[in-house]
Amino acid sequence: MSADLKEEGFQASEVLVAIATSFAGLSEDEKKAQIKKVNAIFELQLKNGSGKTGTWTIDLKKTGSVYKGPAKPKADVTIIMDDATFVDLASGKLDGQKAFMTGKLKAKGNIMLATKLDSVFKSAQGKAKAKL
Amino acid sequence: MSMQALISGAECATTSNPLSQVLKHAEGDRSIQRVRVTAGPSSSLYRLPPSSSQAPSAADLAAARQFFEQQQQQSRGPALPSFDVERLRNMNMSPGGHATPPPAAVDMAGAWQGAARPTFSPQLTPGGSHAAWASEFELHRQTASPSAQTAEPMYRPSAFMSQRQFQPYMPMQSWTPPVAVSGKGKGRMTDADFDAAFAALSTHSSAKIEEVDELTEGLQDASLQDNDYMSEFQKSWEEVKKNAANNPLSQPAAEELARWEAQFNQLNSESRLDDDLDYDKQLQEAYEQSFNQYDIHEPGVRIGEDGVPDFGAYQFEQDNKYMVEDAQSRSFLAEARDLLANNGSLTEAALLLEAAIQKGDTGKGGYEAWVLLGETRSMDEREEAAMKALAEGTRLAAEAGDPTQGLMSLAISYTNESYERASYNTLLRWLKARYPGVEVPPPSDMQSPWALHAQVQDAFLAVARGQHTSGAAVDPELQIGLGVLFYTDSQFDKAQDCFETALGANPNDYLLWNRLGSCLSNGSKPEEALGAYRQALELRPTYTRAIYNVGVACLNIGAYEEAAKHFLSALAMQETGNGGADGAGNDKSAQLWTTLQRCFTYMNRNDLAEMARKAAPVNSFRLEGFDF
Repeated sequence: MSADLKEEGFQASEVLVAIATSFAGLSEDEKKAQIKKVNAIFELQLKNGSGKTGTWTIDLKKTGSVYKGPAKPKADVTIIMDDATFVDLASGKLDGQKAFMTGKLKAKGNIMLATKLDSVFKSAQGKAKAKL
Repeated sequence: MSMQALISGAECATTSNPLSQVLKHAEGDRSIQRVRVTAGPSSSLYRLPPSSSQAPSAADLAAARQFFEQQQQQSRGPALPSFDVERLRNMNMSPGGHATPPPAAVDMAGAWQGAARPTFSPQLTPGGSHAAWASEFELHRQTASPSAQTAEPMYRPSAFMSQRQFQPYMPMQSWTPPVAVSGKGKGRMTDADFDAAFAALSTHSSAKIEEVDELTEGLQDASLQDNDYMSEFQKSWEEVKKNAANNPLSQPAAEELARWEAQFNQLNSESRLDDDLDYDKQLQEAYEQSFNQYDIHEPGVRIGEDGVPDFGAYQFEQDNKYMVEDAQSRSFLAEARDLLANNGSLTEAALLLEAAIQKGDTGKGGYEAWVLLGETRSMDEREEAAMKALAEGTRLAAEAGDPTQGLMSLAISYTNESYERASYNTLLRWLKARYPGVEVPPPSDMQSPWALHAQVQDAFLAVARGQHTSGAAVDPELQIGLGVLFYTDSQFDKAQDCFETALGANPNDYLLWNRLGSCLSNGSKPEEALGAYRQALELRPTYTRAIYNVGVACLNIGAYEEAAKHFLSALAMQETGNGGADGAGNDKSAQLWTTLQRCFTYMNRNDLAEMARKAAPVNSFRLEGFDF
């Protein structure tokens, strides 16, 4: 399944594999809790250096999975950015707000959900979160 | 304060080269685990005698300060194996690059520290005027007496003006963690703004220090010479032009800035959305979509326009033993207060409060019992019940003319449960109630999903700044609100500073210690986090949430068995009050169970994980050999 996510020439696909792996490692309850918190289907359209665009979907609404290709049935939000921008976001080098302000991140649909992408990356890191 | 025992001496604090220290961790250095970071058997962590004095004493303040200074000296990177995007990236990008790049999050913190440190102090910028200002600033700071740590606010106008990016409503994204730069060994909390100002003024590669209208004010305040500052400013403007796609201006005269601002917004908005879509229509749709999504978090939970979820009325416990008693002879409310003051069981206290409310004894203004109930539930790791009670309590408090009560706790509950918009709006509500005169400009960029956060954060910052310039005492609750805003934005270092400032004023506030601990923990400083949690538990040994957080910190450093013990003891405490049975509608802290389950999975004990999944009676784990 992870092998399906990879795509040549896209660093982002490595990140997506990692995210998928972390989802797979969650218990049913934890996955349900994640879905409850995020409740969104993100479609990612990433353009790499050579001009190619790859599409992936992170479904945290129905199945709690990551797959290649456009969202089925429909994405709640479509996020368009460069391959490199995605990797920066995932690693924390860039934050969503800055990316948005500088036009590196574009969103279509329910753009408010773009803020949830940050939490998806964080949870994929596998660290348990402390509570205030 | 036995901080030294807690924070192991096994690692040298290699703060001068964060990269090396981080690499050490990345290579699987486990010496931290070998040293008992929980300082003794787990039971002692939270069954310590409660502290008797409630008022902050000089000794407490000094101890708190000592804690912060020690932290500062021993601040170090995390020891966590983590999902390593950085590694992936470096592997692709730099063939032949070295093998173990540090985990990304740490690298950022480390890099900031490393970068900021050498550039601290005099040699910051071209222009002797800065040095003069610096020394003036320093003098000013030193004259503030230590006991007035509270009077020393976090943020000063100078800090702000140097921090703001070109968009005026944007929060300070390029702050360096102040912890790194306080080379003079003073308490971190007093250095925050000062250090941040200098660090930013230095020529750090990604710090964009261009100003907007704030600049002119700031210039006057700080009495800088215009020439020097303008040349520096122009330099950064060149940088901006190169980087930002849509910068229309070439000469940033002060009076043109406002006009530029408007233009920039417009241009940015055009570039961000797709050309073929009608912007207005799209925004409309987006808003409607977010409002109509009832099931954003849960099927059936209606989310209002302001993001506030409506969970419905509070569900009282069905088997409340106090309910069958004769109400006349006892004041449940008074008993609950006593119990809380004397570190009794949180579940008992909650039952007493529920009984009190149901019998009509709701305390001051009709809201006191509700707010207390909400806070008790929150401490007891039952967040949904907490939100319901606090929603009711804050509503009543507003009606009673005491509108700030309970709002901060409510905002924090929302944050914990990821209802971010609700949290921001609640904080805004608090701000307006507490500072009725303050003007809150509307969000400048309505289309940005982050607009609300920026708006509220700026409003808070403006008040904090105002407090400083007018010399008024720092409002610890304001700092808490600001801390929460930074926390939701994952800016844990800044959040940490805010909470530390607040703690300076209230060193015995166990809630604050826990909150500080969580900033540290989520900011990847698990050892320091444990120190803060320990403080919280010393003050309130029955603080279930703090115990949960200790477990989480242990989990993150790989001490799985320790973590499991902590989760189990938290669960045990929840069980005792209620005899194991749970009332209608009150979630029995599913999170404790799922995290415990995860713990067992990491330990490769799937049998235990299965037990945890089924929420087996806590005693059965004792039989499996867990001593808690």
